[in-house]
Amino acid sequence: MPIEIAMLFAWMLLIVFLALVACMFEDLESDVGSQSNPNSQVQLAPQVGQVHRFFNKAISGEAPAYALYCTVAGVIAWVLLSKGAHPIIAIPIGAVVGEAVHVIFSVTAHVGRTTAQKRFEQPIYLDVLYGHIMPIATHGFMATLCITAIAYIQSNLGTLSGNPGLDHPFALPMLAFIWGITVGAIGSSTGDIHYGTEREFQDRPFGEGKRVVYHGKITRYADCGVRTQKDIAAFCAKFGGPCTGLTFGVIILFENWRTLVGMQVARYLPNLEAAAGDSAAVIGIVVGLVIGVAMIVGNLVLVRWARKRYGTFVGE
Amino acid sequence: MDPILILVCVILGGVLASLGVHLLPVGGAPAAMGTATGVATGTVMLMFGAAMCGLFTASSVATFSDNILLVSLSGSVGSWLMMGVTMLVANVIYVFGTGIVPVSGRVDVDPITKEPQKAYKTPQCDGHGVPNVSYISGMVGALLGGFGGAIMYFGLLNYAHFEETMAGIAAMGIFVANAIIAAYNIGGTIEGFQDPKFKRLPKALVSCGVISLLCGVLVVLVVNLGGLTG
Repeated sequence: MPIEIAMLFAWMLLIVFLALVACMFEDLESDVGSQSNPNSQVQLAPQVGQVHRFFNKAISGEAPAYALYCTVAGVIAWVLLSKGAHPIIAIPIGAVVGEAVHVIFSVTAHVGRTTAQKRFEQPIYLDVLYGHIMPIATHGFMATLCITAIAYIQSNLGTLSGNPGLDHPFALPMLAFIWGITVGAIGSSTGDIHYGTEREFQDRPFGEGKRVVYHGKITRYADCGVRTQKDIAAFCAKFGGPCTGLTFGVIILFENWRTLVGMQVARYLPNLEAAAGDSAAVIGIVVGLVIGVAMIVGNLVLVRWARKRYGTFVGE
Repeated sequence: MDPILILVCVILGGVLASLGVHLLPVGGAPAAMGTATGVATGTVMLMFGAAMCGLFTASSVATFSDNILLVSLSGSVGSWLMMGVTMLVANVIYVFGTGIVPVSGRVDVDPITKEPQKAYKTPQCDGHGVPNVSYISGMVGALLGGFGGAIMYFGLLNYAHFEETMAGIAAMGIFVANAIIAAYNIGGTIEGFQDPKFKRLPKALVSCGVISLLCGVLVVLVVNLGGLTG
């Protein structure tokens, strides 16, 4: 195998690893800051008499929020790169600026939301505000840094692997936007379940959907003392966070791998034979469809296993 | 520049985006607490995330293939993979992280696998997890939505001759407008084609067709004014 093709696959695997790390930290950041869907319960809690010490950061849905941070980071990195800065310097500086925006939104969202709950006697705990800013910023920085690095590698994939014709046609900020949206959508779709269904209602019966009557009555006490979101991140990092990271990593793996395999099998690589372009696309599509059908079968098996193992609902 | 082809691509893309959104199992905030069936996020965000994955692959494929069907299908399969992995891992977390059986809240028997649903459902919940019927509905929705987004991108790139990134941004903008209209029509949560809310589809298709037509006319105007050629 020519070295250019081996390098292409190597860069792809690095992107997959970065995607895994990015999405895991994105999910854990949303747990620390209580953004996205389970935040509805943090918002509702004081209204049903449950004053709490949770951070309340519903800036927007995770997808548009991360699209904003990653695009800011991508634009700053892109500008620095165009001025001749080295990527090792440009990408982290971009991510720091993206996180500065994130922290500003976090503080204003938490203080604004909590102030609006004065009528329900929910105080603004300053130690909660100060204590959560750094975990939010650091987790968010890891996610933004990895996404910006992915965007940089993809927009220069061909150049880095020795064949500039394979650079992605989109500019770095556009790729950062695309993956920012996607990482937010995935973090919101998968990781939230572990936080919202399990950790947020840990003193309710395990193994059942959380009934409407429980809504707002979140678990406010930890193993020792009063619970804050720092306890939640530690819990979700054991299952929900890694699963979420795996989701994004696997998606990026399938997306890039099937396209590269199509190019390789159709002999489009390494000389970019234009005549083999359509065959490469067809092979990529077929590989993708086969993986999708395998996942449908996987879901059938999983649901059947859960039904057999857990049985019908037996509570009241 | 061929105005008819631009309009056809944009309108077809918009209508398919709307149809795709209606087929996704979206549970919104209640699904994050296991109180409703579907994926625990908003309609627009989920479809947008899936379409972005498709757009990424479609734009890669468009660099080495100028076949409209192949580029659109590549985008379509990109979205299908994103939704497939997301729904599967969501179910893994429901089953192994929270001990919940995926079950539909809208039908007593799964229309595809014929498995009974009601006996497995927690009282005072509108279902939980992503049951097989919703999973398959979501996969079909992602295929259609991804195809819509990619065909719009292809039309803007090759018929309106927009620069690649500009074509991507314009396609995304038109796509998200249609997805939001579909989300208004759904009004929060939907389980898939088996959900009674799916019957509202014709109204959304007409609205999205009209909106896409307006967007298409705007694209033709922009092209006539000089285009987004970078």
